[in-house]
Amino acid sequence: MKFRYTLEVLTMIAVAVFCALFLYTSSTMSGAEFTGSDNVGSGRIAELSGIPLENFQPLIPQWKPPGGEIESCLFALQAAVGGILVGGVFGYWIGQKTKA
Amino acid sequence: MHIMEGFLPWQWCLVWWVIALPCLFYGIHQLKKVLAADREALPLLGVTGGFIFILSSLKLPSVTGSCSHPTGTGLSTISFGPWITAVVCAIVLLFQSLFLAHGGLSVLGANIVSMGIVGPLAGYAIYRLLRDTSVNIYLTVFLATALADMFTYVTTSLELALAYPAETGGVTSSFVLFLGIFAVTQVPLAIVEGIVLALVFKYIVALKPDILIRLNTFSEEKIDAARCEI
Repeated sequence: MKFRYTLEVLTMIAVAVFCALFLYTSSTMSGAEFTGSDNVGSGRIAELSGIPLENFQPLIPQWKPPGGEIESCLFALQAAVGGILVGGVFGYWIGQKTKA
Repeated sequence: MHIMEGFLPWQWCLVWWVIALPCLFYGIHQLKKVLAADREALPLLGVTGGFIFILSSLKLPSVTGSCSHPTGTGLSTISFGPWITAVVCAIVLLFQSLFLAHGGLSVLGANIVSMGIVGPLAGYAIYRLLRDTSVNIYLTVFLATALADMFTYVTTSLELALAYPAETGGVTSSFVLFLGIFAVTQVPLAIVEGIVLALVFKYIVALKPDILIRLNTFSEEKIDAARCEI
């Protein structure tokens, strides 16, 4: 019988290797802060332009989440919207297939 | 890949908006056409858009000592093309600008160009190159997804380099500097994203092959072969 789960196995290996590499780097690399590359990029812009980071002001006023936890919550909400869409549609398709 | 609000001079914001807007209008026009022709495309649009919502919200630590997020644009690019993908990305980026302070309204054009237009165009180019060859469907999806992800970050680097050229070396030197921040961190994430979305595509092929054939994503023979393959 032909093995039908090659992609699943490959995905698990890729995720495991990625996690192992992260654990290895985070424990051995000095100066690894794991800040977002967006923030690192913003810092580099300040260096290149010679303008202090705090002097960059929004061109259009912007609402900011009033804390890290709220921000995480809103990110989770975004992922949840995607999850509902994906889960809902896959469920719909499985239902259609079962009915047929 | 988000350029933060206030971090691009207004002239550059305008340039990227001028590039993004016609693409968005064309994407909306294409979207209407696709949905008018086949309402069954709507759930597929939901799945591919859902993955952009999920993956672009995941800030993952990369092996380079920094964090970044995948883009998830590959599936939408392959199924609906880069212009419709630009519309879906614009919705996600608008959500992040308004509620998460990631990106911003003035830099939204620049962020749409990188994540919604140039990245998907790069992925679409490799997909079209491989679509009618004997290359395995899942390898095609993997390459298109990973490239769309990588080119998003390459474009962000270019956008920043153009706005902030280095004193010595100008745009090129600045571009290399930003590539070092964005693109290097992204390589492992792009590879994992490519593999994960290839797996998701396998389930779409298994559950709804007819819609992929009707959208001419891949030929019927290739879809049939893929159903038996892995």
